[in-house]
Amino acid sequence: MTDMASIEGIIKILFVVVIIAAAYIISTRNILSLVSVYSLQSLTLAAIALALWIADGKIVLLEIAIVTIASKVLIIPYFIATIQERIRIKRDIEFHYLNPTTSLLVSMVMMLVIYFALSRILPTAPGTPSLLFFGAVIGISLMLMGMMVTFSRKRAITKVMGYLSMENGVLFFGMFVTELPLIIEFLIIIDLIILVLLTTILAVGIDSTLEEYHNRLHRFHLWEDKEDAS
Amino acid sequence: MSLDFVVYMMVNTLLVIAAAPFFVSFIKKVKAWTQGRRGPSVFQTYANLAKLLKKEVIYSPHSSRIMRVTPYVNIAAALVASLFVPLAFVPEPVGGIGNIILFLYLLALGKFFMALSGLDAGSSFGGMGSSREMSISAVIEPTTIIVFAALAFVFKTLNIFTIFSVTAGSSTPVTPTLILLGISLFIILIVETSRIPVDNPETHLELTMIHEGMILEQSGRNLALMELSSGIKLTLLIALLINLVLPFGLGTTLTVAGIAIAAVLFLLKGVLLGGIIGLFESSMSKMRFFRLPSLFAMAFFFSTLTIIIEVFT
Repeated sequence: MTDMASIEGIIKILFVVVIIAAAYIISTRNILSLVSVYSLQSLTLAAIALALWIADGKIVLLEIAIVTIASKVLIIPYFIATIQERIRIKRDIEFHYLNPTTSLLVSMVMMLVIYFALSRILPTAPGTPSLLFFGAVIGISLMLMGMMVTFSRKRAITKVMGYLSMENGVLFFGMFVTELPLIIEFLIIIDLIILVLLTTILAVGIDSTLEEYHNRLHRFHLWEDKEDAS
Repeated sequence: MSLDFVVYMMVNTLLVIAAAPFFVSFIKKVKAWTQGRRGPSVFQTYANLAKLLKKEVIYSPHSSRIMRVTPYVNIAAALVASLFVPLAFVPEPVGGIGNIILFLYLLALGKFFMALSGLDAGSSFGGMGSSREMSISAVIEPTTIIVFAALAFVFKTLNIFTIFSVTAGSSTPVTPTLILLGISLFIILIVETSRIPVDNPETHLELTMIHEGMILEQSGRNLALMELSSGIKLTLLIALLINLVLPFGLGTTLTVAGIAIAAVLFLLKGVLLGGIIGLFESSMSKMRFFRLPSLFAMAFFFSTLTIIIEVFT
């Protein structure tokens, strides 16, 4: 099966792309590129799902790929980019607890810990495919790296990006180890879209009455009433 | 020492010396294009070096022997290091030549003398340049070692010649480890050759200068030697990167046609990488000094990841 071997090679390269994107998400200060790197990461996940579908033939993987492309490559980045454009925040340079350099080092240590922890739980007899094990390690590290983004960033919009990349980790783990049912994947994605909608509220200000909030939406051009002209 | 190796030494050294000024000015040209200027010709650096070689050398009255010795130490270290990185054709390794650790320390030797000469003349700019250079070197050193350790770990050898003959002979064009190593080596290249997020090679008028600050007191043919050796360093790191990531055409047997084709291919690939470096420099602004470790941490992260991946799979 030379075909299988080449698909495995491609998947490994895609793994590396996912990790590079995660490292970039952890350390960048530029929100514009954060969004595009997030959608690149999701696209890579979709590509991995497709490659696995070609190798395995399980239809659920194809469905995951389609759902991922529709929601996480197109819809969510589009929403976030729109919010970002409206509230005119281009950079996030404040960090809690960990600065980007430390987070990179911490995530490296975390990967090692996860590697050792998983090697005790998952069966790693010489015959088992290393790809699954590798995928599991990267999936969990991606989740924890997303968590680090969530708590080390100060802006609401970047916190949400951290949450989103955390969910990518869950999907990744699910693809390699425990086959998530498609319905759960769907629910998670609907949650994510609602979360992104809520971000508008978080980003614009949750500490206000409804009228005041409406006014703020006007101020940031997030809401345009046709009748208002009168 | 075989005849092959003697030929290799001559060809490689000549090629490095001939290509170094070209790459320096080509990167300048790319940066000029991105800024909408025409920029100096790609042969400008040759003319500069030729002019400088004819000029007399002036020493500051405060300077000592270090100042007089440094340019020669630098060019010698760079030329010896150039033997370690085959550009066009990989012979059988002889003795310790090609050892990756010795290569790093040869580069460090040149850097050490350059920093000393910066202090030696007693100008405050030189001292500031040396101080910065040494701080950066101290921070980048562990990263460099990890990157090269990853390289050695992946290829299971410490010899650059053996590494290159493995990459030249391998059939799979891209592997995950090569991508990661490529990124790390690229960052090392940027830092070691004092390029934009770290230092600005364009000017010696800025207070933030590092490399230019150290060679501010050099003049005449000494300056030419210093510039040539930094050009050689750039060429060597470029060669290291492209012969790892894009090794096709790299010859392993000695034929005239083979060497000629490999040399031309090397120049073309170097032009490609030089273009990438130029674009990278144009798209970045200089980083604040204390933020540089985050750039190094990136290289550190990727090279450690390389080692982890090698252990995993």
